[in-house]
Amino acid sequence: MDRVTFEGVGKRYGKQWALRGVNAFFAPGEVVMVIGPNGSGKTTLIKCLLGLVRAAEGAIHVNGMEVGADPQYRKAIGYMPQLAEFPRELTVDQLLRMMNDIRDAPSGSTDDRLIEALGVDALLDKRIGALSGGMRQKVSAVLAFRYRPTVLVLDEPTAGLDPLSARTLLDAVTEARRNGTTVLITSHIMEEVQQLGDRLAYLQDGRLRVLLAPETILDITRETSLSKALPKYLAQLPPAHVESV
Amino acid sequence: MLKVCKYTLIDLARNRFAIGYATLLLLVSIGLFMLEGDPTKALISLTQVVLALVPLLALVFTIIYFYNQYEFTVLLAVQPLGRRNIVLAQLLAITIAMLIAFLVGIGMPVLVFAPSAAGWTLLLTGAALTAVFTAIGGWIAVKNRDRARGVGIGLVTWVLMVLVYDALLLWIMFAFSDRPIEPVIVPLAAFNPIDLARILVMLKIDLAALLGYTGAVYQQFFGSVGGMLVALCALILWVALPSWRAVSAFASKDL
Repeated sequence: MDRVTFEGVGKRYGKQWALRGVNAFFAPGEVVMVIGPNGSGKTTLIKCLLGLVRAAEGAIHVNGMEVGADPQYRKAIGYMPQLAEFPRELTVDQLLRMMNDIRDAPSGSTDDRLIEALGVDALLDKRIGALSGGMRQKVSAVLAFRYRPTVLVLDEPTAGLDPLSARTLLDAVTEARRNGTTVLITSHIMEEVQQLGDRLAYLQDGRLRVLLAPETILDITRETSLSKALPKYLAQLPPAHVESV
Repeated sequence: MLKVCKYTLIDLARNRFAIGYATLLLLVSIGLFMLEGDPTKALISLTQVVLALVPLLALVFTIIYFYNQYEFTVLLAVQPLGRRNIVLAQLLAITIAMLIAFLVGIGMPVLVFAPSAAGWTLLLTGAALTAVFTAIGGWIAVKNRDRARGVGIGLVTWVLMVLVYDALLLWIMFAFSDRPIEPVIVPLAAFNPIDLARILVMLKIDLAALLGYTGAVYQQFFGSVGGMLVALCALILWVALPSWRAVSAFASKDL
């Protein structure tokens, strides 16, 4: 059974369609890299899945539950936003406890490996307001993975992280994939997309133009790097053509 | 809802603005009581301060706090929580924090220097104004995505309620001074929570006599149990309506 399904999903802001006719099915244990130029609809796609914006047409399902009907479907979701902001006067420990309370997570049920791996254990007593942007990103990463989500949504997760922490985070993604988690990642870093993605979802002008494995695109274009292969592949597609497997 | 409210309160307890607000009110009220020998006169001055300052600061603080928390509110909206509960919890927490600051800043000095019926009325109406303008601030912040626009609308709302509305009432009273318009002025005054609060405090300080026939009409209406109930209902509506609008707007909003 598919873990996440988009069926004819469209979203309009005023008269402008930000997303149109998106059909996609994501399986358990699959990492999908969502890419595309600025304003292509990546953020809207993710926000539709998270229930932050309401799709104007179509339906999205997570673990068989329709998005929008009942907030409980979000129990299965871990989300790391691009910009991590938390109440400035709370300590990191209080923030973690707050999320535990909200999630009704009994002690011992959480996955705390990233707390140590990212060095967040040293920040527990610190006020959020005293943390740098990178440190807040680490806390955000911890929160995304902590409740053993079956669907992980990471919005440019390595932006703002030091190289070592970025590596740790990508390793955690690989581990989550092994455990059957479906991972959606937006990224502008093609090396990350090539290295991590089982499939890439390329959006342009609100339409899902490509949904293929990076290797398939490399094979078709006979290129070795995705940053060269993708433009070459896109150039041969007719307008509004959608290729998927 | 209570979980979000609890941690928002912890955040607000260490918020410098909230602490500064309580300290400012405390200094102003102690200063007025120390400078003015007659507690009643000090209470009248304090009433003017409360009627102007409390709505302004409750409004601006709520709007700015909502904008500062926007990214975190989005993160909360991705948790298994109903959206209505999130915004209600935040509104409740801000109201409690502002009420505590008000009670520390104004409540303690009033209870020490002027523990009269007028003093209690000032505390109750000031607390009501805190709740009213927190709710209005929440509504403005939820409805307007742009921070500068939100703060601007908040300031305009305050000016309208504190200055323009009074000026309008005065003009009506002046323009129709040859007609018995007091029965119309009473409900009009109740329509503005600041005017309503002012009238309630003035009646307890016995300043209504200085207002002549209008004061007598106010005394007759708000001095009765029915009038007090109407005033209470008006204040509750002033809290409930903006809160409901804020919650509804947030529930249907694209974040």
